[in-house]
Amino acid sequence: MQKFFSNRRLVIIVVALVVCFGLMAGSVAIRNKKATPPVVQQFGNDVVGFAGSVVAYPVNALQGGFDSVSELMNAYQENQLLKKQVSEVAQVKVRDQTLASENKQLKKQLKLNNSLTDYSTVSASVLTRTPSSWQNQLVINKGQTAGISKNMPVLSGAGLIGRVAEVNKTNSKVELLSDSDESSNRFAIQITNKQGKTVNGIITGYQKATGELVMGQVTSKVKITKGTKVITSGLGGVTPKGLYVGKVARVTKDDYGLAKKIYIKPATNYDNINIVTVAELNS
Amino acid sequence: MYRLSRLRYVFPIGLFIAFFLDGSISKVFSGWLFSYPYSMVSHLIVLWLVLAYFFEEDTKIPLVSFAAVAGLIFDLYYSGIIGLFMFLFPLIILLTQALAKYFTPTFLTVIMFFFIDITCLELLNYFAYSLIGLINSNFGDFLVYVLAPTLALNLIYLVVLYFPIHSLFARSVQRKNS
Repeated sequence: MQKFFSNRRLVIIVVALVVCFGLMAGSVAIRNKKATPPVVQQFGNDVVGFAGSVVAYPVNALQGGFDSVSELMNAYQENQLLKKQVSEVAQVKVRDQTLASENKQLKKQLKLNNSLTDYSTVSASVLTRTPSSWQNQLVINKGQTAGISKNMPVLSGAGLIGRVAEVNKTNSKVELLSDSDESSNRFAIQITNKQGKTVNGIITGYQKATGELVMGQVTSKVKITKGTKVITSGLGGVTPKGLYVGKVARVTKDDYGLAKKIYIKPATNYDNINIVTVAELNS
Repeated sequence: MYRLSRLRYVFPIGLFIAFFLDGSISKVFSGWLFSYPYSMVSHLIVLWLVLAYFFEEDTKIPLVSFAAVAGLIFDLYYSGIIGLFMFLFPLIILLTQALAKYFTPTFLTVIMFFFIDITCLELLNYFAYSLIGLINSNFGDFLVYVLAPTLALNLIYLVVLYFPIHSLFARSVQRKNS
């Protein structure tokens, strides 16, 4: 032991520890405050992301191949089911178009340029996922050059999956709603019941055991039933209004019995995400 | 001599592939690896570094510097929090070197070394991230739901890949002599 902790070694160990924690604290602070990481980090990430696609694309293609084989197995049954829905979808789509154009005209008359429901989207494919049990992060192949910036909401499949946590020039990192970092899932959401009454609030947590999002501290008396759809409310000004989050799974009292706690079943499974859509609010 | 051997190409290429495979495996099998409550972390890159130490024979790869660079890139690209793995990966190499002095490396002792390496890596990762406030899960849960499954996954990697990597290294070391 005497030899191991010689003077020089001890100094090196202490310096390494200080540098290690200094760097970590620094990068966490930058990540929380700044819109983009330092240029060096951005450049490094771009280069690594480019090199990584050499491995990522073949693996993703392989996964796509396996997925399509397994999808082929139940394609027939799915087809039967989907045929029934197609006719309805066409109807809804036409109605949606009419309403959208009407909305546009009305906005023009009101001289309203863009409201919270106007957003454009950028599609990206997922390169990799952080190999860590603590950070549920995806790396996607679009960045600043495609118009992505920090804190934009990210959708996949049916609904919201997370937000952009770090932007580089050609790739960016997406923190999933299931991430253990507390700030990752604070989205302003609203629930409207059948009577047209609305409850506003934010997502306050993620329950790993059941895979449900939690909307805490709801003091509103409005009655919310199971199965009601939950959407983003657009309050806060970064997230557009009307992104689908999920359905209400159950409503309970919180620990003190004063406020309600609403559990939301997310619309998308956070595993097996290949294509994502980043929503950008028009302004 | 590292500079003259074929390992000069084989080792960095393997490191590169192991690095990106970690992420790709985590993405492709995320439904299995991160199914609640267990979470398994793939550490192919640590496997490659540790096995390189045992199989390099007299080639002397500059492992610690390679580990530091790989760790820095890992921090940049995967976690976005710089400063942890760029110290942890070299530390793992130094730990393996220190341990290997006391045992002759055979298949079974390498398994033991790797077990200790992964345990240390995950423990230090847990402590560092909880110090900077990134995680708030308790230690018991970490042991049962993270450390144990991670060890299981990585020991399976080791058992499956030990002999293929051994023969790969043996061949690359041999070629330089002939």
